[in-house]
Amino acid sequence: MRRSELMRSSFLECPARARAAGLVDEGTFTELAGPLDRLTSPHLPALGEAVAFDDGIAAGVGLIGNRPVFVLSQEGRFIGGAVGEVHGAKMVGAFRLALAAYEKALRRHPEDLEEYRPAVVISFETGGVRLHEANAGLLAHAEVMDQIQDCRGRVPVIAVIGSKVGCFGGMGFVAAAADAVVMSSQGRLGLTGPEVIEQEMGKEEFDASDKSLISRTTGGRHKYILGDCNVLCEDRVGDFYQSLRDLLSLPYEELCRCRRIGTYSLVQEQMALTALAAELNPSDARDVWRYCGNADPEGLTELETGEFLRTARRRAREVS
Amino acid sequence: METVTENVWNRLAQDTAGRLEAAAQAAGGGKIVAAKDTVRLLEAVLRPGDKVNLEGNNQKQADFLAEKLCRVDPAKVHSLHMVQSAITLESHIKLFEKGIAEKIDFSYAGAQAGALAAAVREGKVKLGDIHTYLELFGRYFIDLIPRVSLIAAYQADREGNLYTGSNTEDTPVIVEACKFKQGIVVAQANEIVDRLPRVDIPGDWVDFVVKAPRPFYLEPLFTRDPALITDSQILRGMMAIKGIYAEYGVQTVNHGIGFDTAAIELLLPTYGQELGLKGKICTSFALNPHPTLIPAIESGWVKNIHSFGGELGMERYVQARPDVFFVGPDGTPRSNRTFCQIAGHYAVDMFIGGTLQIDEDGNSSTATAGRIAGYGGAPNMGCDPKGRRHATPAWLKCGQEYGMREVLTGPVPRGKRLVVQLQETFREKMAPGFVERLDAWDLMERAGLAIPPVMIYGDDLTHIVTEEGIAYLDRCRSIEERRAAIRAVAGFTQVGRKAKAEETRLLRERGVVKTPQDLGIDPARATRDLLAARSIRDLVRWSGGLYQPPGKFKNW
Amino acid sequence: MALLNLEFSFDGVPGASIPGEWAHSGVVGSGDMEVLLFRRDQGGAVNVKVCTPVSGFDQVWKMVLQRFVAESGCGDLDLEINDNNATPFIVRLRLQQALAQAREEGGR
Repeated sequence: MRRSELMRSSFLECPARARAAGLVDEGTFTELAGPLDRLTSPHLPALGEAVAFDDGIAAGVGLIGNRPVFVLSQEGRFIGGAVGEVHGAKMVGAFRLALAAYEKALRRHPEDLEEYRPAVVISFETGGVRLHEANAGLLAHAEVMDQIQDCRGRVPVIAVIGSKVGCFGGMGFVAAAADAVVMSSQGRLGLTGPEVIEQEMGKEEFDASDKSLISRTTGGRHKYILGDCNVLCEDRVGDFYQSLRDLLSLPYEELCRCRRIGTYSLVQEQMALTALAAELNPSDARDVWRYCGNADPEGLTELETGEFLRTARRRAREVS
Repeated sequence: METVTENVWNRLAQDTAGRLEAAAQAAGGGKIVAAKDTVRLLEAVLRPGDKVNLEGNNQKQADFLAEKLCRVDPAKVHSLHMVQSAITLESHIKLFEKGIAEKIDFSYAGAQAGALAAAVREGKVKLGDIHTYLELFGRYFIDLIPRVSLIAAYQADREGNLYTGSNTEDTPVIVEACKFKQGIVVAQANEIVDRLPRVDIPGDWVDFVVKAPRPFYLEPLFTRDPALITDSQILRGMMAIKGIYAEYGVQTVNHGIGFDTAAIELLLPTYGQELGLKGKICTSFALNPHPTLIPAIESGWVKNIHSFGGELGMERYVQARPDVFFVGPDGTPRSNRTFCQIAGHYAVDMFIGGTLQIDEDGNSSTATAGRIAGYGGAPNMGCDPKGRRHATPAWLKCGQEYGMREVLTGPVPRGKRLVVQLQETFREKMAPGFVERLDAWDLMERAGLAIPPVMIYGDDLTHIVTEEGIAYLDRCRSIEERRAAIRAVAGFTQVGRKAKAEETRLLRERGVVKTPQDLGIDPARATRDLLAARSIRDLVRWSGGLYQPPGKFKNW
Repeated sequence: MALLNLEFSFDGVPGASIPGEWAHSGVVGSGDMEVLLFRRDQGGAVNVKVCTPVSGFDQVWKMVLQRFVAESGCGDLDLEINDNNATPFIVRLRLQQALAQAREEGGR
């Protein structure tokens, strides 16, 4: 596919490998531990489950400007993008390379580090742990979390969410721990998946067949209003790429202000939000939108993304 | 002394009067009955062994009345003989489990097809006959006359007049059959209002109205999310448009339910436009308001659509396009299953749809051994209407080509309905679309049916479209040739593997089989980029916000 | 339960390989497959390895692959396929796409 075509195409429908290449500058993406290496899952064959040469994730490195960007891109069509042993190891490996690259940049470009500072970008499409290899998958989650902590003060980590499966389960935590979150309206972010909530709490609490409800509760617009998502963009590969360029052009310190957790004052802000939820006792995301100053919450979902960005009122942040 | 017993000619009316009196005592005297009195009302008007119609089809459901019927005392009301379009709710099965109902004559089983098969096996349900809609409606007036009917409406007024609006569907035929044979009609209404938009059912044909605590259930069965349409469906759609719609100049159509026909609808404004077919094909439909038809309507392809029922979310759109759809003097839409089935049977030149299995002779069935799914309306359209006498170019062309016509009727010209099956040679999990023996035979044995439930018989089928090619069965001159043509497009299934290369070559020479290449279609073009809408959101955009999809389909 | 590994070999057209050393295409989604293609100098032969969870379709695989090789006029190739219930139509389509893509991308 030509670059211009890729940039115009829907991020939602874009497979992981093309997405990875599209998130960095044209022609700069090099895949690492790719299909040719045939690092397939050691666990799936015993269970009679199909394997993939990349274990459901494209990992690699490209450039945005002079900056090396390590990209992890999950493929939702392979077992729902679930994280198994190899898949998880590829994630951890990319972080390690990014940290090593940071040390190198520090040595080589002490003067213009901002320009050469490596970054990690994760294009999530996953429900979390792959049940077929759950221990390894869980461990991978913990290791990635660990890597994100190691990255603090060194390497920005950006979560990108706009693919079909969304970002759920343990990977929902991982996305929340990133420095910044970029979503499209179609992107969905949450911890417990809708089906599990319905199963545990009943259909009255959460009807998992109601896609509109799921979208209102976990979708990009709700997360944007609440502040869990920093940048909301159109569902096009090119718009995600541009959003990344814009974020990474910020001074690192400023980019870090996108964080929603990780300091005492941010924890306090989160606690205030919890208290507000208890007080407001919203029965639908629309109640929260109304509280945030949106007079016509029903109308908000019907707007095109650009119009939404112009109109929507967001929750005021206390820490900035 | 000899007494002369006079012939009594109004036994039914007398019996009805007795029941209505009992009802007055049980549930107060008025036409409007409180929801809490529904069970008492039903116990008063029902007698053991009654034929009872419980309204419901593949779209709207008198679900509140169905649930209340499950609550009657089986000691008082039992052995009911249900005569109804569909078995689709859990409550429909529960009636039999509780011994309230005993026998069923029906047309279609949706979500309960598996439960019905199990209940028949366990002896809980005495299976009457499985019908097509029109066939069952016909029997409502002959030997399956409902004594009591439980129906559903949007609104009622205090005189019992009903507004059934866009989901009028089966209500008129049920009420007509029941009421004019002195039966009793009970309606559930979403609302009781002072003034109805219009009267769809006159109040003096309705005995009781219950205001249901929630709106009747409506299944959006005809909504297909364009996001789920595959390349393979797009390829078959392109082949159908070029090789059949255009080839025969088909103007009047019924589309079966499914993603294959949804793909065709979304290809009209793109691929159809490219072939210059606008105005030449697909101008009139007997069809539910399919959301996937919105782009074609908005692009000016469609002149007219009459609908069996209403589709959830399409009400405002339909209402705003009265030149295309049928809309009442009050400005709101109406549907009518009986009339639309008649239209679909007599007034359209082509039926096109999908199936699960086609056998070597071209018989097709959606039956599987563990499910009694019934027929619905498809066979009324997926057949050659023997009573048809008006001629159209498409009908005449298909008749002229008909290779076996002279053998059957001599030189007299006669047209033929195009009956087209779109079929993937293998479906998900490698289930073959062509089989040596239909699963319908197993179902016949297991469920004790008189005949295997064939949806469309081989002699009615005129065309099969698979990704391998189109088989123009109408052009075949013998059953042997038909079988060869079927084999030629059956791919790598057991049936397809019997195809002989030389035989297939000869069929291609004669135009009895055409591959995508023969049709001048490049399969590489068959991608989602060719669809006029690729998501439900796109359909909403096409409709200018008039289409309001239910939450189930709305991912925003 | 275990995955099935099938191997096939066909006579293809000598020299009708791909320009690059290797190429990859497709995603192992449900009802889909991926394929790795390798340029080989082996007198036109096309060797195919298939890894699939579905049993009982060895003969169908053979015929589908045979037809692909004949129709596409390819040769001097090794193919490795990971399958997850792809239908013959999808297999044929994906292989055609993979070959076209590999030829378009050219040498690596």
